[in-house]
Amino acid sequence: MRARWHLILAPSLVLSLALLLASQFIFLRGSFFKDLRLGRLGTEFTLENYVRFLTDSIYVDSLILTTRLSATVAILTLLLAYPVAYILARMTSRWSMVLLAAIVAASFITIVIKVLGLIIIFSSGGALNQTLLWLGVVTKPVTIVGQPSGVVVGLMHFTMGFAVLLLYGVIRTIPRSLEDAATIHGAQRWRVFKRVIVPLSLPGVIVTALIVFNLCMGAFTSAALIGGGKVYTLPVLIQQTVIMQTRYAMGATISAVLMAVTLIINLVSIAIAAWLGSVRRLTA
Amino acid sequence: MSAQLSRSLRGIVGAAWVAGIYAFLFAPLVVVVGASFDGGDRTFLNFPPSNLSLHWYGRIEPDLFQALGVSVALGTTAALAACLIGVPAALGLVRAEFRGKALVAALFRAPLQIPAVVIGVSFLKLYYFVGDVTGLYAVGSLPGLIVAHTFLASPYVIGSVSAVLQRFNMRLEEAALSLGASPWTTFRRVTLPVIMPGVYTGAMYAFLVSFGDVPVSLFLGAGSTQPFAAKIFHLMEFDFDPSLLAIATFIIFGSLALIYALQRAVGMEALIRSGGSS
Repeated sequence: MRARWHLILAPSLVLSLALLLASQFIFLRGSFFKDLRLGRLGTEFTLENYVRFLTDSIYVDSLILTTRLSATVAILTLLLAYPVAYILARMTSRWSMVLLAAIVAASFITIVIKVLGLIIIFSSGGALNQTLLWLGVVTKPVTIVGQPSGVVVGLMHFTMGFAVLLLYGVIRTIPRSLEDAATIHGAQRWRVFKRVIVPLSLPGVIVTALIVFNLCMGAFTSAALIGGGKVYTLPVLIQQTVIMQTRYAMGATISAVLMAVTLIINLVSIAIAAWLGSVRRLTA
Repeated sequence: MSAQLSRSLRGIVGAAWVAGIYAFLFAPLVVVVGASFDGGDRTFLNFPPSNLSLHWYGRIEPDLFQALGVSVALGTTAALAACLIGVPAALGLVRAEFRGKALVAALFRAPLQIPAVVIGVSFLKLYYFVGDVTGLYAVGSLPGLIVAHTFLASPYVIGSVSAVLQRFNMRLEEAALSLGASPWTTFRRVTLPVIMPGVYTGAMYAFLVSFGDVPVSLFLGAGSTQPFAAKIFHLMEFDFDPSLLAIATFIIFGSLALIYALQRAVGMEALIRSGGSS
């Protein structure tokens, strides 16, 4: 009986692998051929599309914008989500379960509907603006719809629930007794936080930050709708390039660069985190 | 006294922080539901609603209901297919020991790592390629959408079933086998009932992932096979109408009811644990 479990897995693996490799290979291979539009490709191998990506400011600017927005969202979301996850993880009542279930429920409601709500809140005639005008904070309506800052808020909304759930799991693995021990030995609350909780949760925090960052790098719906066709992140650019311009080879090139850059940023971050970890261990 | 004061101050700040984040998470939903009851005959939106009315509920376009039907059929089929792929995959990943297991696990997670837009375009290209070879074009067809959405959603089933299997007590199976049950009977009568909460949870997540997907549907659906979320996306881009708020309200309450029903069936803890792990 024991020997057969890997055979049970085989059909699923073959099917998933076939879909993954076939789709990615056929699509990304196109980035190495000349783009003749309307889905047609040249026959000679060329790096022309990649050269174009690096020399045309549309693409480079979009790459920089996407990376910058994603990094901003990762930092802001983590700073806001961490205290929530900490409070939920240390809550002793059953309310923590209810609050977590509420996040799960909110996470799985169709993103277009949540974006619709965000646009209503942040539009120039929306509730937030009317309140701000009434309070005299602003003299004329301001809006973040169609602005990079709006996309940041939209992506924060998209990733906040995941971040709280992931950080909750991380903080739950830190025994409460460690905090109590530090407190009994006279450590101030803030010192307990800085010297016990933060260092122990750091690996999980870095993983969560990277997951949020990756989600943002690939996020399409909120960037396209809140960006209002004015904020060109790479996923929006891919859709435009393929659907509006029918340039599949260029779309494949942007996709390849997006995935490669995301992967490299992840690997470099993990390497830096590991290096910092070993430095800290040496100096401690 | 001052220690107590600082503790209660910390409590207040903490509670306010949590309340603020929950307000941020739920405000868009509250606003959509609230604005859908606004009776003003305007094309721009009002929240809080100025005079309550069900005006927009009577003006939902019939093709939105048609798109909703497509999405429900698509999500249900994709969720079932994701279970057919995901349950054996999870059993193999948790129970078998073989070289390269981490790599296989990573391959099963790949649909979560690839940006959905890229999955959409690459399946479009794949379908064109298959069409050129066989003459059968899956672009714009329901089967084409089902295959792509199954690919997109299968990691969620694998994640939630694996989470349950990892806590599975193998003694239960050993007991059944030693009492003379065949391996198949043991699986059907012992293993399957225990992992069912994970299967239900994974299937529901798979359904909701399919239902909420925009980028893949945008590339693969067309005309009468355009799924609901992609349709809403187009309407928001080009042709906004407040009746969207009315149908969005139905979807919000429908999704919440679905999650609540699942929570009743599998328990809050299973719901959260498998949700966080995927």
